[in-house]
Amino acid sequence: MTATPFSKVRLTGLLLLLLLAFLLDLSTGTVHISLKEILRVFFSPATADPIGQFIIKGIRLPKACTAVLAGCGLSVGGLQMQTLFRNPLADPSILGVTAGASLGVAAVMLAGGSMATLYAIKELGVSGSWLIIAAACVGAGSTMLLVLLLSRRLRDNVMMLIVGIMIGSITLALISIWQYFSNPEQVKDYLLWNFGSLGGVTGGQLLILAVVVVIGLIVASLSAKMLDALLLGENYARSMGLSARKARAVIICSTSLLAGSITAFCGPIGFIGIAVPHIARFLFNTASHRILIPACCLIGTILLLLCDTFAQLPGTQTVLPINIITSLIGAPLVVILLLRQTTVHSW
Amino acid sequence: MVSAATSLLNARDLQTGYRSGAKRIIVANALPELQLQAGQLICLLGPNGSGKSTLLRTLGGLQPPLGGVIHIEGMDRWTPATLARKISLVLTDRVSGNNLTVDSLVALGRYPWSGWLGGLNATDRASIEWAMKATGIGSLRDRKIHTLSDGQSQKVMLARALAQDTPILMLDEPTAHLDLPSRILLMRLLHRLARETRKAILLSTHELDLALQVADEVWLLQSGGQLRSGAPEDLVLNGSFESAFAGEEVAFDKGSGNFLIYTPQDKPIRVTGEGLTLFWTRRALRRAGFEPVATASLHIHAEERDGRPVWLMEQQRETREFDSIQKLLQAIS
Amino acid sequence: MANKHRNLFLKVEAFHIKFGSILRPIDNHVDMKVLRPLTKFILLAFILSVLSCREGSAGKTPARPVQVPSSPAKSRIKFAQGFTIDYFDRYKEVKILNHSAGSADTLDYLLLPAGVAIPAGHAHAQVIRIPVQSMIVLGSPHIAQADFAGVADRITGVGDGQYIVCPVVREGLRTGRVRQVGLESGLNNELVISMRPGVLMTMTNPDAAFGGYRTLMDAGIPVLPNADWLETTPLGKAEWVKLMGALTDREDLVNRKFDSVEQAYQRLAAIGKASAIRPSVIIGMPFKGTWYMPAGDSYVAQLLRDAGANYHWSDTKGTGSLALNFETVAPVALTADFWLDVGDVDSKKEILSRDTRYEAFRAFRSGAVYSYNRRVNAAGASDYWESGAVNPQSVLADLIRILHPDALPADTLIYYKQIK
Repeated sequence: MTATPFSKVRLTGLLLLLLLAFLLDLSTGTVHISLKEILRVFFSPATADPIGQFIIKGIRLPKACTAVLAGCGLSVGGLQMQTLFRNPLADPSILGVTAGASLGVAAVMLAGGSMATLYAIKELGVSGSWLIIAAACVGAGSTMLLVLLLSRRLRDNVMMLIVGIMIGSITLALISIWQYFSNPEQVKDYLLWNFGSLGGVTGGQLLILAVVVVIGLIVASLSAKMLDALLLGENYARSMGLSARKARAVIICSTSLLAGSITAFCGPIGFIGIAVPHIARFLFNTASHRILIPACCLIGTILLLLCDTFAQLPGTQTVLPINIITSLIGAPLVVILLLRQTTVHSW
Repeated sequence: MVSAATSLLNARDLQTGYRSGAKRIIVANALPELQLQAGQLICLLGPNGSGKSTLLRTLGGLQPPLGGVIHIEGMDRWTPATLARKISLVLTDRVSGNNLTVDSLVALGRYPWSGWLGGLNATDRASIEWAMKATGIGSLRDRKIHTLSDGQSQKVMLARALAQDTPILMLDEPTAHLDLPSRILLMRLLHRLARETRKAILLSTHELDLALQVADEVWLLQSGGQLRSGAPEDLVLNGSFESAFAGEEVAFDKGSGNFLIYTPQDKPIRVTGEGLTLFWTRRALRRAGFEPVATASLHIHAEERDGRPVWLMEQQRETREFDSIQKLLQAIS
Repeated sequence: MANKHRNLFLKVEAFHIKFGSILRPIDNHVDMKVLRPLTKFILLAFILSVLSCREGSAGKTPARPVQVPSSPAKSRIKFAQGFTIDYFDRYKEVKILNHSAGSADTLDYLLLPAGVAIPAGHAHAQVIRIPVQSMIVLGSPHIAQADFAGVADRITGVGDGQYIVCPVVREGLRTGRVRQVGLESGLNNELVISMRPGVLMTMTNPDAAFGGYRTLMDAGIPVLPNADWLETTPLGKAEWVKLMGALTDREDLVNRKFDSVEQAYQRLAAIGKASAIRPSVIIGMPFKGTWYMPAGDSYVAQLLRDAGANYHWSDTKGTGSLALNFETVAPVALTADFWLDVGDVDSKKEILSRDTRYEAFRAFRSGAVYSYNRRVNAAGASDYWESGAVNPQSVLADLIRILHPDALPADTLIYYKQIK
């Protein structure tokens, strides 16, 4: 299944759209900065206004870059999950990795969040947002290992799906218990984290996120062929030479890296993982993952950049959490897509 | 394309079955030595529950044997990747809900040969084209598979297996869900492919009739797990078919090569006549429960008048004439 | 501090005058030159030791060993808007008012001395028997209010022990005299009921799910929302000590102390407002991209105005916080002279670990970063939230010292420290 000219045209079109969305995201914000000023910040920084520079380079640019990384990572993760489990409703959180990250964060903010513990941890030198990120990574990583271990023993993917959902439920129950016994400050902190935010990732954090997401995307690309074979089901895939265990391990690793890291740095962001693969399939009318993976990256990025632009509520001083916007925009999109499908069978 | 008279697959002391936890559930035990030769079409027959699917899946590499050794082109160990270049399968699994076009699906057959990311070169495309031509689905190339009929999609799955370009091809009940003309066409196609491509083709089926006509060899699995193999005619003549399918209500008739449904034959009748009309009259009477007895008081004579069959019934010096078997049977039942 | 010495001196003189007449016969027999200085020394020592026994935590106005019986003294509420106290012949009536969301909810409490019957016409009021001898408090300011009134030892239960700074209560926790009963939804109802406190003080909003306390109220325990944090002025916040005074019949003492707090505050505010230079200030740190900046009608904004600061959001409406995004605050933050209330960080490095972009703030570069965690207990909880609530004059003094270093005589900061 090669990239037809049709696909190539669409891919370039999407690239242009991506550039536009990126620029749009950079120009939107509380402080009005003209496009000319933005270009000046990048191309002749000496002549640019320092406050404008700080805002563009220090606030909006990292946020846009985070949106690019999260958009790519979550949509490719969703694509992999939908193919592996042959379930059109799957998204990267289905393995429970996102719930594991939330568990780590809740452990720090709610349960072990007593001031004495935090004070003690500060003495160790880990503080601030790094603590939250580290806790989320530990949570996500543990869940990933658990899922991998179980995947070796389970015969088929439906069982894996159920296990993933069960892990998600257990972690959420634990988090609820902690929330019940916490004081309002802690609960509000956790709630705010749970709303998701693209704005808090800067400097060293952005670099680490970029590295992990790129690794995840590379592994995903390598699994493109495996995913194609899995489209016919596990028996056929096996008869074509695919080792089910190996395929599952690679796909789970890739998705966990992507979903886990993005959740650790940005909080849980929903809907992109479910909606974007469907949009990609609809636009490119193909099932070949060689095309779908880059397509998902582009579409996911564009969508998340647009959501971020809307989240700024141009003109006002408040910013809505990104999770709300992705659902508000994503859900109607999927419904519109479904209405345009001619049959129920093809997805 | 493989050279003649080569044993491509050889299985000895095979035990097929399942592992459920620590338990071993054996499906077939006393299997003789099985061989697949190049250019041969082998049909695997047997009643339901005899373990046809299990045997096929075991030979095809989808599940491990509980015992015994399988040699494929000299190898007795393989990875899924190397096996994929030797054996391709057509299964009963439903393949749908994935937005694939016919071309893409057939192209998937090249999986064991294509590059890292699934890229196809000229050899790959040549195989795909040949496979689509051999199965006659060239005109369906850009159709989505969920829009095809059962017969068409079965051909597509076959094309995919052909594109995989393996010396051995195995099919699990390929004629299920097909109407009669499609079944015949598929069996004919497989027969021709075996000859032309020198592949070894193994298929399991319930189509006794068609199998008897096209198979070079038949493997007959019986309910106890025993397998008799040989040319179909040998198996008919030595009574294997009869014993394999023997049952209370059903029997295999050596003479016609058909299954006969028993009906109690308790009414004596004498039948005379000639040719095709006599043959079919006898069948009808048998169905109605009549047994041919030379001395019966009821006599049916079948003959032709002016090119049309006519039946004369004689009973106790009365003679009546009928122009159809249906009216005849209504009269005598 | 000067007051203390002056009063001490007066006391010595008074004592000397009173008892000198007894000693005079002794004088006749003993060498005057030795005895008089000795007498003075002994009296001084005696008085000092008496006073030091009653010394509260360093830095607060010391509690005096004065007995205040059920006094006829009344409290007049000048600044606080969240409660009123009405005095009747034999009892007091406290109303807790709820101003949020324009609703007119009022919670009614009857403070009755022992033996006084419940007056008619107050069907919905809760009854509190005064003077309250034991109380369970769930908020840090409540502990400070009790300490202000000299009744910290009457606290028998707290919400969460690790946040507490007051030594009396900490000691109580150590010996077991003071129990932890949990916070909010984790409140251990059974424990509270078994302790039978005179009153339970919560931090909740008066209109919030009060139904959650139904169980306790049915068991006869009065539940009082002591919501000083809803006040919009620092003095109004501190004035809630008068409620504590009314509950424990210590109006006299509390009123006097509060008057001196008020005077000190007004004096400092005059100095602050009169200063010619108004340095610009930003408050707090953002969380995940949202910066909660005190709104114009909040008590923090009032403190900043009284301290002579230039606060960019001083004219905004609202008594809580404005949820601003980083971008809105950034232009102000980049050029602000001072960065205050950054939370419980101890070093500039720690601030940077939260976000490297703070490095660009002018206040960060010049080292003008301060936070209110100078006085913390072992677990890191800041006394700013406890005694700072009832000592707005000290908080204001700190702020003026930070913002206008030459306006006041040099002295160490009480609640604030510079973050280096």
